[in-house]
Amino acid sequence: MKGINLKSDDANAAARGLLARGMEAGLWDAALVPARVPAGDSYAWLLLRDAAALERTTPLPPVMSVSGARALYKLARHGTARRVVAVLRPCEVRAAVELYKREQLPLDDIFLISMDCPGAVPLKDYVEDPEAGEELFGKMLAGVEEPGREICRSCDHFSHTASDLHLGTLGVPEGNVVVVPASAAGEAAAEKLGLGDAGPVAEWEAEVEKRNASRREAKEEAHRALREEAAGPERLAATLGRCIGCHGCRSVCPICFCRQCYFESEALKVPAANVFARAERKGAARLPADTFLFHLGRMAHISLSCVSCGACEDACPVQIPVAQLFGLVAANTQSLFDYEAGRDRAEAVPTTYYREEELAYLSEPYVEARAPEGVGADG
Amino acid sequence: MAKAALMEGSNADLAARDLLKSLLSSGKVRGVMTLVETGPAGEVNYELVADVAALENATPLYPLMPANAGGLLSRLTVLEGFEEPVAAFLRPCELRAFVELGKLHQVNAENILLISATCGGVYPLRASLNGGLADGLPAYWEAVANGEAAEGLRPTCSACEHFVPFGADLVLAAVGSGGAGRLAVVARTPRGDEALEGLEGAAGEAEVETAGVKSLREKRGAARAELFETEPLPAPGLEGLVAFFGRCVGCRSCRSVCPICCCEICYFDAAATEPTPRTFDVHLKRKEGTRVPPDTLLFHLGRLTHMSASCVGCGMCADACPVYVPVATLFAKVGAETQALFEYVPGKDPEEEVPLQRFEEEELAEVGEERFGS
Amino acid sequence: MSEEFRPDILGIFCRWCSYSAADLAGVSRMKMPPTTKVVRVMCSSRADPVFALGALLIGADGVLVAGCAPGDCHYKTGNYQTRRRYALVEKIFDTLGLDNRRLKLVWIPASEGAKVKRVVTAMTESLQEAGPNPTRAEMFI
Ligand code: SF4
Ligand code: SF4
Ligand code: SF4
Ligand code: SF4
Ligand code: SF4
Ligand code: FES
Repeated sequence: MKGINLKSDDANAAARGLLARGMEAGLWDAALVPARVPAGDSYAWLLLRDAAALERTTPLPPVMSVSGARALYKLARHGTARRVVAVLRPCEVRAAVELYKREQLPLDDIFLISMDCPGAVPLKDYVEDPEAGEELFGKMLAGVEEPGREICRSCDHFSHTASDLHLGTLGVPEGNVVVVPASAAGEAAAEKLGLGDAGPVAEWEAEVEKRNASRREAKEEAHRALREEAAGPERLAATLGRCIGCHGCRSVCPICFCRQCYFESEALKVPAANVFARAERKGAARLPADTFLFHLGRMAHISLSCVSCGACEDACPVQIPVAQLFGLVAANTQSLFDYEAGRDRAEAVPTTYYREEELAYLSEPYVEARAPEGVGADG
Repeated sequence: MAKAALMEGSNADLAARDLLKSLLSSGKVRGVMTLVETGPAGEVNYELVADVAALENATPLYPLMPANAGGLLSRLTVLEGFEEPVAAFLRPCELRAFVELGKLHQVNAENILLISATCGGVYPLRASLNGGLADGLPAYWEAVANGEAAEGLRPTCSACEHFVPFGADLVLAAVGSGGAGRLAVVARTPRGDEALEGLEGAAGEAEVETAGVKSLREKRGAARAELFETEPLPAPGLEGLVAFFGRCVGCRSCRSVCPICCCEICYFDAAATEPTPRTFDVHLKRKEGTRVPPDTLLFHLGRLTHMSASCVGCGMCADACPVYVPVATLFAKVGAETQALFEYVPGKDPEEEVPLQRFEEEELAEVGEERFGS
Repeated sequence: MSEEFRPDILGIFCRWCSYSAADLAGVSRMKMPPTTKVVRVMCSSRADPVFALGALLIGADGVLVAGCAPGDCHYKTGNYQTRRRYALVEKIFDTLGLDNRRLKLVWIPASEGAKVKRVVTAMTESLQEAGPNPTRAEMFI
């Protein structure tokens, strides 16, 4: 991979500088970037049309208050009146790519910049003690502290991604940032910005690979532990047991874009007698009645596109490890189709096509050996 | 004095459970809606229980509100009501939500025996995570029995003045019951009388308005005045609101757990309000930058406009907020003002229409007059 | 605020009365400040307060809702409903310390072109005093 070495204090300064230069050079007219909110207790996305106003932004904030992909979707679902540049975390870029593939987000007039991501601080921790959150994030950036959010600790897609330009900081000597053009638009932009010639960036690549390897291990371990804790009907029920059915996880999920979620629709309203019959059958019926259907159904709907961004978990008021559960399921559903959410704009979402010769095992008679642990042919 | 059953039980929760058990086992009802302890770390959920055995873990008055039961009961019955008699145990604010939803045509109340209790308040959901409540429960029940205000409740509960239910069929006199271990279940309607007939527990007479209720009401009133005057409510004006809602992530969970907000598609999620390229252009013509997603304040102010006159102050919204915006305190405060304007108490009288569905020809004369200038 | 500040006012006028009155004012060439852009609705009760909130939050300096006088609504009771809703919003504004000068409901019968002039002038002046709506500059709205 080739990149351009850029002198800069840090990634935030580099990103702000690029945004301003691009605005002056007419590459884009507006920038979507996070900025700290007036009370200082979180960050919010701002769409800015003014290079001077970029000063107040924090392109790589400590928290992911709102997924950048969701912000982009709200901004550009019906196109944009201006050419927009957005600075996103890698998982946010991947979610944006998924929305693009699902025809929910036209990316043609949008230029995406991504950055090496040290992870995010849990949103609740941050809003309760912003200064502690800033401090922790500083340490995460410096590489002396693991990411705050559980889901980030096993993220193995924290670096370059399907954006147009990527800013690398890992393994790069202090005072430098590596700019990697990652698309034709990115190359053209780099040239127009006069960033200099791309050359090998071996140190950065090596550090990314090194960290990735350890993250892959962490992920395997996390998945193993989660399976132990939450897999199987009883354990899953216990894990989801305190869910209050707010559907906050769904509404902040960048992938769940339906205006009318099936699980909130008329389709799921039933006469009282129906729930009463369930109660008679089992002794008692949980209310609201469709908690598990909601979560399993959502997994069926979107796990192929889940990018493990963690927004759902940040939004859960009762600390259910939603993102970790979805991540675990997604790893399995995506590998079934050799798919990776957000990897490539040209790669179709697996449910949008089929091959005649595939998944042959589904036509075979039930084989016990294939059953998941703990489920017998009669169970 | 009204007809009552006197239940044995070392606290109101156990007495309430016994009541539900005898109602179900006597066949007076075929099902019971109540809170049930569902996990080892004090997780509680609402359940519709049909089997007496499943009531072993019932905890009708557990001081936690995983959902507003009035909203649940509405959702359960909005298409068609119960065909069999069912008892539902609701807290006063949940009952008021249920009544309010009835006025909004979201309820089929037939075959439901409504049971409520004088309420000592509930704790914030987050206080219950990881078994956080268990140790405090004995002190809580003691406070309830003595008409004291328990510590650490939801702010809106500490300031709730309507902890004596309106119009339930049966009311358990939990607040101010004293430490004697005898709790009165007071019948308020013929249906309630009927339910009590022949039940275990000495038949007698009792009052819901105990001395404890009176003293708690005073404490609540004082707490209310204080809550509405202090942080963390927004400072007056736009800046205060921006600071208050700045960290809102737009998850709408406050709305989705609100029993009153029962619209199938909320106006603020409808196609009509969806931002278009023009939306942002309009903003950017005036200022150098604007927030995305847009309309954070419009959502909250709009919601206040739509439902504050019916807000029962149950506190669910604040419990559901992932970034701890004290939404409930704000809505309760604004609700108190808009309700006072129409001399309306949400959920009190099922016959009284909600304020925005009715009007008087002779009222509010000054609104619509030429009143310009400051 | 200085005299030069020209507030942006959104008018939401009932077509049966207030809009006709505005028409009349126009035809009679009455002079009034060019501050108010009027949207015509079939009844003041169509002017959902949330529309007014939306306009104020994207930077309108004021919203003026006008309808038939009580008792004269073309649909009999529409304006009584409107009155309740705006009384409610006024209360919300009071409670939150928002500026009630920015949102007004008035009754303007069809024959009263002069009242349109009076009301628009008075609202313009009161908004000049109030100054530009702070939502014009607030990014985190
Ligand atoms: S399910 Fe959760 S982790 Fe997956 S994309 Fe949605 S919000 Fe992100
Ligand atoms: S955010 Fe949490 S409580 Fe709400 S529906 Fe999702 S898992 Fe349940
Ligand atoms: S708001 Fe009032 S009635 Fe509702 S739980 Fe709290 S104290 Fe009880
Ligand atoms: S805010 Fe208004 S439109 Fe939305 S659910 Fe509540 S009442 Fe309905
Ligand atoms: S629950 Fe909290 S974060 Fe979510 S929309 Fe309501 S105030 Fe905003
Ligand atoms: S028709 Fe004019 S206010 Fe209703």
